[in-house]
Parts: sequence; C-alpha cells; structure tokens
Amino acid sequence: MDKFDVIVVGGGHAGAEAAFAVSRSGLSCALITMDQTKIGQMSCNPAIGGLGKSHIVREIDAMGGLMGRATDLSGIQYRTLNTRKGDAVQALRVQCDRDLYKKAVQKILKETNIKIIQDEVVDFLLTNKKAQGVITKSKTYKSKKIILTTGTFLNGKMYTGNIIKTGGRIGDESSIPLSKRLYSLNLPMGRLKTGTPARIKLSSINLLDMEEQPGEKPTPWMSLASPPKKHQKQLSCYITRTNKKTHEIINKNIHLSAMYSGEIKGIGPRYCPSIEDKVRKFQDKNSHQIFIEPEGINKDLVYPNGISTSLPKKAQQEFIFSIKGLERSIITEYGYAVEYDFVDPRTLKQNLETKYLENLYLAGQINGTTGYEEAAAQGLMAGINASNSIKKLKDFVLERSEAYIGVLINDLTSHGITEPYRMFTSRAEHRLLLSQNNAEQRLILKANEIGIVKKERVDKYLSNEKEYKKFYTNNLVKLKKDFFIDKNGAKIRLQEKRSISSLLSRNDVDEKKLFKPNKKDTKLYQRAITEIKYSGYIKKQIREINKTKKQNNKQIPTNIKYEEIHGLSNEVKEKLIKTQPQTIGAASQIEGVTPAAINLILIHLKKKELVSQNA
Amino acid sequence: MSVVYALATPAVKSAICIFRVSGEGCHDYISEIFGLDSPQPRRFLLCDLKNNETFIDRVGLILFKGPESYTGEDSFEVYAHGSLGVMSLIVDLFDSKGFDQASPGEFTKRAFINDKINLNEAESLSDFIESASSREVFLSGASLFGDLSKKLSDFSERINSLRVRVEAEIDFSDEGQDFMDGSLSNDLSLLIEDFGSFVSLCINKREYSNNKNIVLVGPTNSGKSSIFNRLLGYERAIVTDAHGTTRDMISSEVFFQSNKFSIFDSAGIRETEDVIEKKGIETSIKKISDADLVLGVFEKKDASLVSSFKKMCDKGSFFIIQNKIDINSSDTSFFDCCVSAKTGEGFNSLKNLVVSFFERNKKNNKNSQYLIRDRHVKLFNQVTKDLDIALKGLNDSKSLELVAEDLKNARSGLDEILGKKFSDSLLGDIFSSFCIGK
Repeated sequence: MDKFDVIVVGGGHAGAEAAFAVSRSGLSCALITMDQTKIGQMSCNPAIGGLGKSHIVREIDAMGGLMGRATDLSGIQYRTLNTRKGDAVQALRVQCDRDLYKKAVQKILKETNIKIIQDEVVDFLLTNKKAQGVITKSKTYKSKKIILTTGTFLNGKMYTGNIIKTGGRIGDESSIPLSKRLYSLNLPMGRLKTGTPARIKLSSINLLDMEEQPGEKPTPWMSLASPPKKHQKQLSCYITRTNKKTHEIINKNIHLSAMYSGEIKGIGPRYCPSIEDKVRKFQDKNSHQIFIEPEGINKDLVYPNGISTSLPKKAQQEFIFSIKGLERSIITEYGYAVEYDFVDPRTLKQNLETKYLENLYLAGQINGTTGYEEAAAQGLMAGINASNSIKKLKDFVLERSEAYIGVLINDLTSHGITEPYRMFTSRAEHRLLLSQNNAEQRLILKANEIGIVKKERVDKYLSNEKEYKKFYTNNLVKLKKDFFIDKNGAKIRLQEKRSISSLLSRNDVDEKKLFKPNKKDTKLYQRAITEIKYSGYIKKQIREINKTKKQNNKQIPTNIKYEEIHGLSNEVKEKLIKTQPQTIGAASQIEGVTPAAINLILIHLKKKELVSQNA
Repeated sequence: MSVVYALATPAVKSAICIFRVSGEGCHDYISEIFGLDSPQPRRFLLCDLKNNETFIDRVGLILFKGPESYTGEDSFEVYAHGSLGVMSLIVDLFDSKGFDQASPGEFTKRAFINDKINLNEAESLSDFIESASSREVFLSGASLFGDLSKKLSDFSERINSLRVRVEAEIDFSDEGQDFMDGSLSNDLSLLIEDFGSFVSLCINKREYSNNKNIVLVGPTNSGKSSIFNRLLGYERAIVTDAHGTTRDMISSEVFFQSNKFSIFDSAGIRETEDVIEKKGIETSIKKISDADLVLGVFEKKDASLVSSFKKMCDKGSFFIIQNKIDINSSDTSFFDCCVSAKTGEGFNSLKNLVVSFFERNKKNNKNSQYLIRDRHVKLFNQVTKDLDIALKGLNDSKSLELVAEDLKNARSGLDEILGKKFSDSLLGDIFSSFCIGK
C-alpha cells in the first residue's frame, strides 16, 4: 500500500498551497485530484489581489507559499489600489492570464517531492475512529493526515434560468461518494451560493466605446521574493456600464432568474451580488459599473466582472446586447449560479483540523469562504499544521494582530459565517499593523522557525532590515534641520535643530521637500514615513493587544461543560456550546459574552484543574 | 494578567485611603511613581507619590512579591491621605499608566486562579461575580437613565454611519463610486457641534453634589456654630459664649434625606482689630458670595441687621433663621424658620427647608439635563478629542485609514460608557447602504 505523511484531496488554490507547505516542511505528500490539468485553475475572475486580498497573498508569500510567485509568472496587468490613501490600505491587484497561472502553479509543484495522483477519492480509511488514509476508485492510500480542499463539490448545483445541473464548476463533476461519506460524519452544514457572468469573445467587443484602464508604470511585483526576469506582456482592462435599458430587460425577466424563482435557497455574498440583485435592491441607481477583464495574452475572451447572473440564456444575451460596447457580443459560455454545501467552520480547531474526525483537516471554499486568496491561506495553514502535528510541534496559529490570515481563521473558527466569507481590510481591527508591504517583517522569521522558508530568502530579508536600520539612523536620526517646508510651500523656522524623524511626525510637513533620498533609498524613506506617521496609533493598538494577550491565549479544553458553569446565562451557555471556542480570547469575542462571564469560565477551568490534581 | 487597581477604602473623606494594585509587571512602575529603586518587599516605606515630577502626596507603600501576596501576583498597596482630591489624582495617575480599574471580585478571582484561596471560597466568589454583574447592570441602567443612554446610542450610531462611508471608500475604492459623497466633513462637523451641545447639558455628579454649598452667617455669637454642630450631629466648632470664637471657616459634609450638602460655618462678622479674626471674616465674605444657599442666623427680629447680611450674597438664596427660641419667643412671621440649637427644636423643619430648596432649584436648572460621573467626563473629553482629530484629518487630507481609526476610537469611547459590546456590524452597514460588488 502506498504511504504518505499527508494526503491532500483537491488541486485548487487551497490544495496546491497545502501540498506545497507539507513538502517545504520536509514531509512526503500526495495530491489527489480528479483532473491534474486543472491544478491551480482560476474558476472565477482571472485576478489575484485587491483590498485585504493582496495582504493575504503577501503573507502567504512571506511564509514561502506559491501564490505570489504564480501571480508574477502570469500577471498581465498590475494596479495598486488606494494610492491616495495610506500604506496599510493600499493593495495590489493583478490580472492574470488564466492558463499561464495554472501552468505556473503546476510548474512550481512539479519541482517538489509532491506525488500528483489523478483519481477520485471516494472514502476515508478509518481505524479507531481516526482518519488514516483515503480510498480512491482504484486504490487505498495510507497517510497520517488528510487535508480536504474540495471547493464547492458538496452537493453542488448550477442554475441557468430553470436549467439545473449538478457539479461544482462548469465541466467538472461533483464527487458524490465522498460527499456521502462526509455527510455521514454529521458535521454541521449550511448552504451557500455564488454566481458567475457570461464569458464574451474579445473580438466581438467594441473597446473604443469603453474607458481604458491601463496597468501601473513602473510595473510592480506581487511576490516580495526575487522576481522572474521580466513581466509578461501587459494588457489593459476596460470599463463600461449598464444603463436604463439593461435594467428594464432584467426587471422584465427577473421572474425567470433561478435566484428569484425560489429555486435557490443558499445565501449569496452581499459584496458580489448578481446583476438581478443590484437592479432590484438599488432601484434608484441607473447604472452599474462593469469591469472588462482580459482572460489572457493572445486569448480571444474576456470576463465581464459585475454582471453575474442566473437568468436564462436568452435574457442574458438580451441585456448584454444593451450595454455600450457589448452590442455585438459573441457569448461563449453563459452565466450561472452555483449552490453548494459548506461545513460550518466552527467545527474546526484553530489549526483547521475538524473536531469530528481526528487527522482530517479542511481548507478552502468547503469552509464557506470565497476567493482564491482566502482558500490558499487556509491551505497553507492546514498544510503547516498537519506537518507540525506529525513532527510533534506546536500548532501554528497567527494572531489577529499579526496577519490577515490570523483574522480569517479566527473569524471562521470562532464566529462561523452567514454568507461566503471574503476578506476586507475593515475586518482587521488592527489594520494599521497589517500592511501588504510589511508581511515579511511580520511573518518570515516565524515561518523560518519551522523551516518552511528558503534560506536565501531569509538572509535577503535580514540584510534588507539591516540596510533599513542603517538608513534610518544615518539619515533620519543623525541628520538635523532647523527649518522645514510645510504642505503649502511655506518655510517654517524652528527654535532648535530637530532630526528628520521627529519632523516627519508633524502633520504639516512636506515629506518630499524635507529629505531627498538617493534613488535606491526611496523605498526605505517611504517605509520610514509610514512607520512614523502610524506610530502613535500603533502604540495605542499594541498597548491594547498586550493587555489581554496572556489571558486570551489560555486554552479551553474541548471537553468543557458550559452547562455546569454556575452563573452563566442560558443564552451565553448556548452560544458557547455552539461555538466551542478554543481559547478565552475566542470566547470573549463572542457577542454577548461579558467580562463577568469570562471570569466565571476562568474560575470554572481552574476549579476543574484543582479537582483533577487532587484526584 | 493585566495590572488592575482599586480603592480599598470607601471613597469618602477620611484620614487615610488605601489603593491596591496587582498584576504582572506592576513593580516596573515603582521607580517612576514612587522614586524608589528596588525597594524591599513586605516593608512599610515612606515615599513621595508623583505624577511626572508633580508631587501628589507623601504616602506609605508596601510591596508584595508574587506569589507571596493576596492575589499571588506582584502587587503593592498605597496608603495616602484620605482627601477626595488625592484619591482622584491617584486614579488619574494609575489610568495614565494603563492600569485597569478592577472589576468586582477581581482580586479574589486572581487569588483563586493563582492558588491562593481554596475551592469553597471560589464557589462563593462565583456567586459574588454573578450578583455583582447583575447589580452592575441594574445600577448602570438606573444611573444612566433611559434618556442619556439613548442619546449616547444615537451618537454612537451617527459616528458609525460616518465610519461606514469612510470604510466603504477604503475597501471598495475600485467600484467607481463616491462613498463619501463630498459632504462627509460637513456631516462630521455637524456631529461634533451636536455632541458639544449635548456635553454642555451634562453635569458631573460630583460637581453637582459639591454645588450644594450652604453657608451659615450672622452677627457674632448668634449661635451659628451651635447650629452647625447640631446639623452635623456632633461637636466640631468650638462653642463658647465669647464673641468671635470661630475665626476660620469650618466646613463639613452632611447627608439629609440622601442628599449631600457642604455646610460652612463662617466667622461672625463685626468690626475687629484681631488680625486672625479679620482674615476669617474676609474668608466668610468670599464664601457667602459663592454659596448656593445662605442661612442667616439671628437672635431677634432686626430688619436692618438682616438686610445688611442679605446684601452680601449676590448669588444663591438667603433664608433667615431665628436661633435660641429656648430663651426668646419665636417669631414665625418674620423668620423663615425658628430653632433652638440647644434643645434641637425646629431642626426637622430646618432640614426640610434646605432639602426642598435644592429640590426646587434642581427643577429650575434647565441647563443641565444629565447627571454624569467622573469616568464619563473623561471619556467624553476623549470622544470629543477623537472626533476633532478626525475632522482635522479629513480637512487636511490625512490618510483615510487614520480618519477611520479616529472614528472607531470615538465610538468605542461612547460604547464603553454604555457598557455595551457591539458586534461589528460595519460590513453589514456598508452593504445595506451601498450597492457594492463587481
């Protein structure tokens, strides 16, 4: 029988990142997928990054993951969003060539010891109520850990008007036997939906009628590691809008939409509504933006982002033809809504292992998230934690104040979800600490402790940090001035000389005129400006974090009986029983759990400890 | 665990007050607060308590090194002079160091968690925490009255709705919409204005209570000090038959019918050559003009004498009291109240007169609608400051994520007063206000 340390089921963004993490941990790994040509497939819009998401990609990247590298190998348009706002909320968005992205992922995985197996997993190998491997259609494979990253395959249904097909993605079947096995575990489940727009031939679109949005110059990189030699050929995106007529057509046909006919029960994401929802819910808006994304270099296909729909084909065609520039569209694939089951992520521990079946980890869309980045982040963390557990190392858990990935997993495992979960910067209460540009400072050393980052990368990071410190001391601390130019261009004299760094903390100072760094130091100066501008706010946040850190990290044993805790209200008891928080910190985040309730839990835990000591 | 402090003695004027401080790292503050370097634990040390070089009080200090302390953690106790002023300065100092006020049962809870007390004690502690928390809820509900708390919730909501617009502008900037609508800065200054006028309607409970100043005036030897002592219930002022015995202002706090009053006994006013007495009289005159209520104490009806005293109080009200009705016949037509300090006769009606005067006065005081506490004053100031910084930031085109942070801080200040823990419904608010999503 073939044996591996870890088996990853599924080859999407979570699966690829999970397998890659296991391999970097130095363990053996198999990735089992139904179609190996689809490993790393972008099944929605062909873009990586954006607000909250580029932050995640950079974090994955800082811990040695593949998503940033694959993005740079396939990126055809780079744009930094929020350039007029501060560093913490700037985000890089990259349009990718769909095929090149997939190829890049496959190439990276090929360079490792990961064994890729094309087969269908139909069951788990169970001994003593623990998962010990998987059974495929043709074979049985043993493993110490299993990571399930199967996306939307659980009871997936696709809707176009009144036509319903089973499956999780166009052209791909659902895995029915495995879903049955999963259902038999009685995990709490819910139902979600999401949608996609039609795909249109680029050659059939009149781009001259649309607003062009070119990429950023000079073109940046997503990965903070050494980039490829050069960028792929760069393309533009285009913007057009729906109009009154479009809305009329949609209103006229809305009863035919699968979502409005009552067929679909799942909850869709509010931040990614179908065009039917937009027209219905915001009747006062005469027009909605559509973002035309190229599918790839030399590819005669675009992704019209903003008009996802489950209307029948005829109606889709009619409303698309009413949009400026799309009047002669040739539609290659029609939009559809997908409805699927997800596992309530509150049944997962913070290391992403299920509380229901030992050795089984879940990552990605199966946990109710949406987005490549969110999936990849979970894959990475499940991969690391499965490996750590085999090596008898501690769980690798990131704090909310440490990484967006920490926010993501903490939100999932302690609050669960009510709609497909997507990251936003506003989800991170310590947002100012978490910039896409300081991901390495936050995470690389921590990841290096468990050996998942290449040595060259760590060395380069350390020397960069050294260089920054040198720059800071030599220029910003030692250099002093007795005047500065303010934002209105006026020269302000000072009573005594002050260092550049202390002048930078003033709001009225014009940073560009205060100090002119050498070209190679521009980035270092920019970093210093950001750090100084944020420092007051950050000090305050760090004070708050430290205040509760120790207590928050206290573990709550899984066998705790909340019903026994004298003095907790029934409502609080119910919430705690349902959520099963792993730590005091997670418990205190639950709505309605007061500081007094936390005290009672702490006392209860202590009591139990004493009783067991005396027994 | 974090550093917490509590006043271990009642918050009333007394000879000494004791503060307990406990928590990991609290000894790190000893040198900056008390100017002592590595003092010995478990010894009573005399030292100066300072806030950034500003002397507050000469205090006694005992250090306990964990686990040999009540809580099992590093802790210390401060024995300071028991004036309300010193107490509030020490509270301010501890707050500024980032110490938290201990919640009910906190010290005992820590003692339990650190194995200092046994299971039985802990059982009763659970009950205590439970009852304390429900009592707290009840009290905060009662003291915040429905109205004040509704007002604060409204402001909290208004701040949130501004933040929703800022956050949408940050998280959905690629949607091609103007979420801030150009009017955000106007809306914010309007909010600041409204909040300012709301705060001006609030009156600090302490100030409010301290405002009930009553001064006893009258010709020398009319029995002011006897009345003062009778009101207090014990001998405090020196009472003799000689003229001009009370040379200084003597004051004390008394409670009638659960109202707190400060009563001042003034030196009798007469022409005098005695320097010390003269000074006492000057103090009297000043106090009279600041008083909320002046009680003029006389032996007999003497209209011109009464009006000469009445002239001295330009503010507050003046009641004329006849004393010594045990030796003189009472004259209820001329006097507002007739008493005998010697026998106690008429004191109930005197107290009623005083209480009902302040009751009436409270109703007439239209400007202050809300009673608040020191804690609230501090938080209101912080909220105002955060809002001002946010507005200034918006107008100076400061980075928007910092403006969002200011608004978040402002709101959490209000929520802290309300004692609520809001689930962050921010994203929900964004989605229901704007059409988002490509």
